[in-house]
Amino acid sequence: MVRTRQITPYLFVLPLVALLALIFGYPLVKVVDFSFKRIRGFDGAYVGFDNYNAVFADPIFGEAIKHNLILLVGVIPLVLISLVIAIALYERMRGWRIYRTLVFLPYIIAIPIVGVVLKNMFQFNGPVNETLRAIGLEGAALDWLGDKDIAIYTVLGMIVWRESAFGIILFLSRLLSLNEELIEAAHLDGANWWERTRYIILPQLKGVIEFYLVIGLITLIAAVFAYVYIVPGKGGPANGTMVLELYIYNWGFEKRLPGIASAISVILFMVTIVFMVILFRMRRGAAAEALQ
Amino acid sequence: MTKKTRFSPMSRRSFLKGMGAVGAGLGAGLGSTLPAFAKSARLQDTANLSLWWWADDLTFGGWIEDTIAAYEAANPGVNIESLQQDVCCVISQFTTAAAAGEPPDIAFLFNGLYHMENVWLGYLDPVNNYIPLEIIEQSNATALSRYQGNYYRVGWYPVPLVWEYNKDVWDQAGLDADNPPATWDEWMAALETLKTAGFTPFGGGLSDGFWGEWYLGNALTQALDSPGEAVELFIGDRDFREPKYWEFWTKLEEMARGGYLNDDMLSVDLFTAINKVVTGELAATQNVGAVIPSHIAQIGDRVGLMTMPVYGQGALAGVPITDSQGWGIPTATENKEIAADFITFMQTPERLNRFWEMNHYFPANRTWDSSVIDDPVIQLMWDKWVAGNITVYIPNLMPGLFWTDAMFVSAQEIVAGNMTGEQAGEQNAQVAQQWRDLNPDLIENYRIYAQSLAEAENATLEATEEA
Repeated sequence: MVRTRQITPYLFVLPLVALLALIFGYPLVKVVDFSFKRIRGFDGAYVGFDNYNAVFADPIFGEAIKHNLILLVGVIPLVLISLVIAIALYERMRGWRIYRTLVFLPYIIAIPIVGVVLKNMFQFNGPVNETLRAIGLEGAALDWLGDKDIAIYTVLGMIVWRESAFGIILFLSRLLSLNEELIEAAHLDGANWWERTRYIILPQLKGVIEFYLVIGLITLIAAVFAYVYIVPGKGGPANGTMVLELYIYNWGFEKRLPGIASAISVILFMVTIVFMVILFRMRRGAAAEALQ
Repeated sequence: MTKKTRFSPMSRRSFLKGMGAVGAGLGAGLGSTLPAFAKSARLQDTANLSLWWWADDLTFGGWIEDTIAAYEAANPGVNIESLQQDVCCVISQFTTAAAAGEPPDIAFLFNGLYHMENVWLGYLDPVNNYIPLEIIEQSNATALSRYQGNYYRVGWYPVPLVWEYNKDVWDQAGLDADNPPATWDEWMAALETLKTAGFTPFGGGLSDGFWGEWYLGNALTQALDSPGEAVELFIGDRDFREPKYWEFWTKLEEMARGGYLNDDMLSVDLFTAINKVVTGELAATQNVGAVIPSHIAQIGDRVGLMTMPVYGQGALAGVPITDSQGWGIPTATENKEIAADFITFMQTPERLNRFWEMNHYFPANRTWDSSVIDDPVIQLMWDKWVAGNITVYIPNLMPGLFWTDAMFVSAQEIVAGNMTGEQAGEQNAQVAQQWRDLNPDLIENYRIYAQSLAEAENATLEATEEA
């Protein structure tokens, strides 16, 4: 047997680690570096914690966090709706193959296109409100995008509608790979639909639900820029749909202070790390419990 | 992005030799009566250049391609590649590329601070280093392109800020469409008449913010005696809390509270809304000149144009406002002389006429022969907003932070009925203070810029008085 020195395996992975360090590590270091400077062009004067202080003193930062938290709550309907529709399709309701294609359509259309279409539909005098008025529901014809107290929920609804398509297909794929004998056996034992779902299907979907939950959380924290930029318009009205992503963009490109944009990015990065640590600990605990 | 030259790059010496030869030829053969821009120098050397552009009307891109083709034909060996940019990124892309030392050779630049902050970073060269002052001034780049005696842009096409109305709608409401209101009281009375007749009197789309920017440009100007006063508001020498500086917001508030604005204003974007003036869904709106030809194409001379009715006491109240898009030469480009020659070529009479032929819109150059204008509405725009006594577009002096956090928010909150004009003034003052706190290093540059603007304004006044 050939004995390898302890360092040898590390030498094999070194090129890839170096590449990753360059691709991810260098920008990360630069972002942290920028967050302590007043950047003009590519560099700037050191300003200590001024950028961080400016962020915490800015009321729009609080607004952005509040809106991100509202959107985060959307992960619950996102998962539930995906799950219910996937199970309904799995039960092979009439026309399920057509429905499967239809529900996935929004996901393959680019967000800006979906955004433009939805923006037109939900304008105050757009097709949605015109329909409501036509059927006598004048009171339900709200200013979905123009009222700052409502707009964030309109955006949330749009995100859930589009993003649930991915969840449906994900869950359906897993469901189609289930051992049908188990479900057949439950049928024969007299289990009803709810009992089959609760005791047979859901336990087997646990892994993929966890995965989709994480994907959903990441989407709602860090991938909603296009929605709030296009649909209500630049996080409006009056910052009513401002989220952290757009807030960072504004500081970097509109307000031309990349140092502050970097400080917010560092804060968001730290918060995400905390989330990930909590999540991994929970999963490790659950795995240990399962082994006992 | 500066392209590597395919052949040997032209040296300054060979350029000067070429220019010298052309100059000698001109002097000996043609005398001094030939206009300075009669024919740009035929360049002997070869180079690849890049040109980044954007336009309010993207069909203007056809003229750019046409001009490049004409220039390349006249200068074999010179190759210019154009790249259309997105409006969101015109400035940020340029700043990033310039910081990386890879800017385009010829850059489209918005006016005012949008390019001036790049001047302060050292990313733009004075165009008067390469192009005769006479051509720059004729090009109408406006005073906002000047800093400490240097010009940093050459004008391309003007952007008049107009209030547009549908004459058919006004006729139906019983208003005199040929004599639009000149004062605020007359305006409010006209709005009431239109509303009573069942029309949506005025409005636009505020979801993307630009209508608010235009409103601020039209309305705040009326409180000012010079454009430099606007800069002083941002650097703290003046205060948005003074009633004269928030009165303009109360005018928007008056229109909102009177029910004269379209009810979907907060949920639609600028162009979706302002195009409704053509169909009569809106009786009047704010607009910019470059869009007017497309409206004329639909309703002809039923397009009515006016300046914002006067409410303010400033010297600029009632003066037509015109912005100008333009071109600059980045410091890092290796092809400054050829870039300058190309920009000069853009100002030749043949190219200016071609701009009109292709777009049915006029260039910014004041020496352009406007006798070819065959449309009364466009003629009115030319006479009043280009050739006449005009002032600059002050939102070009507005820091980005003020745009996003003050103008955008105040306009939307006022239209929604959540904020008064006075509260908007307070909010604007707070945001201006926040901008000063975060940009102490820029204050001095802004102050010098304000002085440059005052000097330019004085020079214009003197010239007007002399005329």
